[in-house]
Parts: sequence; C-alpha cells; structure tokens
Amino acid sequence: MISNNYIDRFNTFDRILHWTVALSFFLLFLSGVGLFANAFFGFFEMFGGPQQAIMVHKWTGVVFFVGSIILFLSHAGDTCRFDADDIRWIAKLGGYLSRKHQDIPQSKFNAGQKLFGIFAIIATLVMGITGWIIWDPTAYSRELTQLSLMLHGLFFTLFMIAMVVHIYLATIANPGTIEGMLWGQVRKSWAKAHAIKWYQKMLKS
Amino acid sequence: MKRKAFLIDTTRCTACRSCQVACKQWNKLEAEATVNRGSYENPPDLTPQLYNQIHFIEKEHGDDFNDFRWLFINRRCMHCADAGCMKVCPAEGALYRTKEGMVVYDQDKCIGCHYCVNACPFDVPRFDTQQKVTKCHGCMDRVQNGLLPACVKACPTNTLQFGDRDQLIAEAKAEGKKLYGENDLGGLGVLYVLDDKPGTYKLPENPAIPASILFWKDVVKPLGIFGFWGVVGAAALHYVTVGPKKIEDSSEQPDNGGES
Repeated sequence: MISNNYIDRFNTFDRILHWTVALSFFLLFLSGVGLFANAFFGFFEMFGGPQQAIMVHKWTGVVFFVGSIILFLSHAGDTCRFDADDIRWIAKLGGYLSRKHQDIPQSKFNAGQKLFGIFAIIATLVMGITGWIIWDPTAYSRELTQLSLMLHGLFFTLFMIAMVVHIYLATIANPGTIEGMLWGQVRKSWAKAHAIKWYQKMLKS
Repeated sequence: MKRKAFLIDTTRCTACRSCQVACKQWNKLEAEATVNRGSYENPPDLTPQLYNQIHFIEKEHGDDFNDFRWLFINRRCMHCADAGCMKVCPAEGALYRTKEGMVVYDQDKCIGCHYCVNACPFDVPRFDTQQKVTKCHGCMDRVQNGLLPACVKACPTNTLQFGDRDQLIAEAKAEGKKLYGENDLGGLGVLYVLDDKPGTYKLPENPAIPASILFWKDVVKPLGIFGFWGVVGAAALHYVTVGPKKIEDSSEQPDNGGES
C-alpha cells in the first residue's frame, strides 16, 4: 500500500519474525555471556542461576536458529542478488564516511544490509551447529568439542560486533529506518533516499 | 608454602592397586560393576568414582613371545601449574589452587558446563550423576592436617611419594632418574619416572592445553570484550563526527498540514 507519505516495507509476518529473532538474540546474549567470560558470571543471576541460564540458552538457541533461517529465506531473493550499484556502494562504504549525500541507487536492501543478511545466516549456521555439538559436551570427540567451543565464542564475538553496527545503522544513524520494522511502513522520502530502485518498482506495481 | 607434588616412580609399581582402593575408601567412592576385558586393569579408565587408576600396558617386542613387558602407571589429575581446567572454568572458585599448589574444586560452585573436561590436556576431570566435577584433589583434607594422601599412604612399594616438589625433583635427579613433567605446563604437580617413552604410557610427549582452547581464551575472549566496546565507541564517534544520514527531501508533504 502506498499512501501520501508512506509506503509499505515489511509485512506483519516479516516484523513478528524479525522481533522474535531479535528478542531471542538478546536472550541468548544475556544467558550465554557468563559462559563467554567469567567476568560476566553475574548475568546468570537474571535467570535464577547458571544451570537455569544454560537451559534458557539452549532452548532459546533452537528458537533463534529456526527463526533466523526462516528470516533469511524469506528475504534471500533480495539479499543474495548483487549488481553494479552494490559494488559501487561497497567501494564507497555506503557513503558513511562523509556527510555528503552519496547517490548510489539501491534496491530494497542496500549492499551493506545484504552483506549483513549473508553474514547473519553464516553465523547462525556456525552457532547452531557448534551449539548442537556442545549441547552435551561429552557426546562428540574432545577435538571436535574443543573446536566447537572456540568457534561458538568466535562467532558470538563477530555476531555481537555486527549486531551493534546493525542496531546503530538501523536506528539513530539513519532516522526513519526502524519505522519499517516497527509498524511496517517507511516515509516515501526515506524510500527515495535509501532504496530508490525498490521505491520505483513499488510505484509500478 | 613450598609447592607440593606427587612423584610416581613407575619402575617400582607392582600394580597392586592399593592406591585405587585407598583413594576410594578415603573419598567414600562407590564400587562400580565392570566387565572382564581380559586384563587385570580394572576399571579401564578414570570415572566419577575413581580418582586414580593403574593403567596396564602390555608390550610385545617383535615375534619372540617371551620378549614381553608389562608396564603400570598410576593415572590421575596432574595438578598442572598452568591448568587448562582453571583457565576455562566460568565459575569463580569452582576450580581453585590450594596453597600447596594442588588444583581442587568446590562442587557447590560448579555449574556443570564440562568446559574443564574438554580443556584438560590429560582428559582427567569427570562429572558425577549430579553433573558436578570430580577428580583427584591431592587429599588436601589429609595433607592440610599433616597426613599423606591416601594413595601414597597405602602404597607398599614406595612408587608413590608426596612432598615438597623441589626436594622430590632433587632427590630423583641425584639418583639419576629422568623425570616427566618437570617443566611441562609450568611444571606438573605429578612427576613421573617412566620406564619407556611417554607415548607408551599414553602420556603426551609435550603436554599442552589444546590449541583451540588457548585461542578461545587468549584471543577470542579479549577480542570479544574489546571488540564490543570498540564498535560501540566507533558508532558513537561516527555519530558525533559524520552524523546521521538525514533526509533532505522537501517534496514530502509534512504530516502537520503543510507548514514549512
């Protein structure tokens, strides 16, 4: 639907799925960070103790894993297609290092968002597979378990850094962006500035 | 206090397993049903109810049936100075070092994560049915009251000795014995006199904390902490220097009825 000022960006399914995955990410962070470094042992108290936190972590992990895969698949058509404009966007780092407006036409997602989507699914798969292996820490060989513990920590680190960037860019760095994920619509002016190719396609359809 | 250690001279061991029994008795560990595997070795490995174990090695040389060696080694926690289990334990005080230098544990503080099981260079810690860590604790309850560890007390052949680490090393060297574990992992709390290569006894030639565990704790962990605050700082810096991407499209009709 396109009104005077607004245009539909994410439907109800997209939004509920996104916030389910987002919520489970934070729950996973809070319940697991005490296992990442003993400095954060106090975070377990939020869940009533370490054993309870680990149980929450395991089952929230299942929710996140499934949700994140569906989230990726439902946008895969948009995230996995790169064109010449995307290459230019990446070369100029999206124009984020200058106040000057960069006029690189972008589709529904800009190249950075596409890269984030692809990173997120890779990280989800690594976290899910290694999480499965360390669910019962004596089920697999010691070498495989040791490697999984390391990879689970490494991809947690990468995912957390990517998430800070994702949250920053989707909120205060790009005013108007989060509206699309909150109630589904963005301003037309936002669409023209950030996703002109998607905007024109929407006008035609 | 001087660091204590066990000295285990495998050349003196007759595999009587008094050490196994004495340990079970002192620590009130359950008997376990095992099966006959055609060896006197029993049980075949450390268990949550077995903190030390005599490992039997039957070694044949070539084709001559009479050229046969029977080797025994007392396996247990090595009480490493640089202990992989302590490095990974997320629960403060669940694994800790006594003033004697032994690596001991407090089951009330153990959270059951099993990280120590996977980080141990010697595959020693076991988890009991309550999902709490168990292993040799050097009988610290006895030692701190002036007694020898139960296994050492029971050993009839002087295979097992316990005392000041430096003194045990000096005495063994004076007798011309070669020691395993003097400098590995910062110096082991269990020193061996072996009758063959370490590999024969299933001991690693150069024991070390597994590489992926070291990378996890020494690289990934600091990267995570500095990475998080680094990227938060970078975002804040970006916001106050470059600033947000404001939309300056005047063609939009504002919601407030077209002022401006």
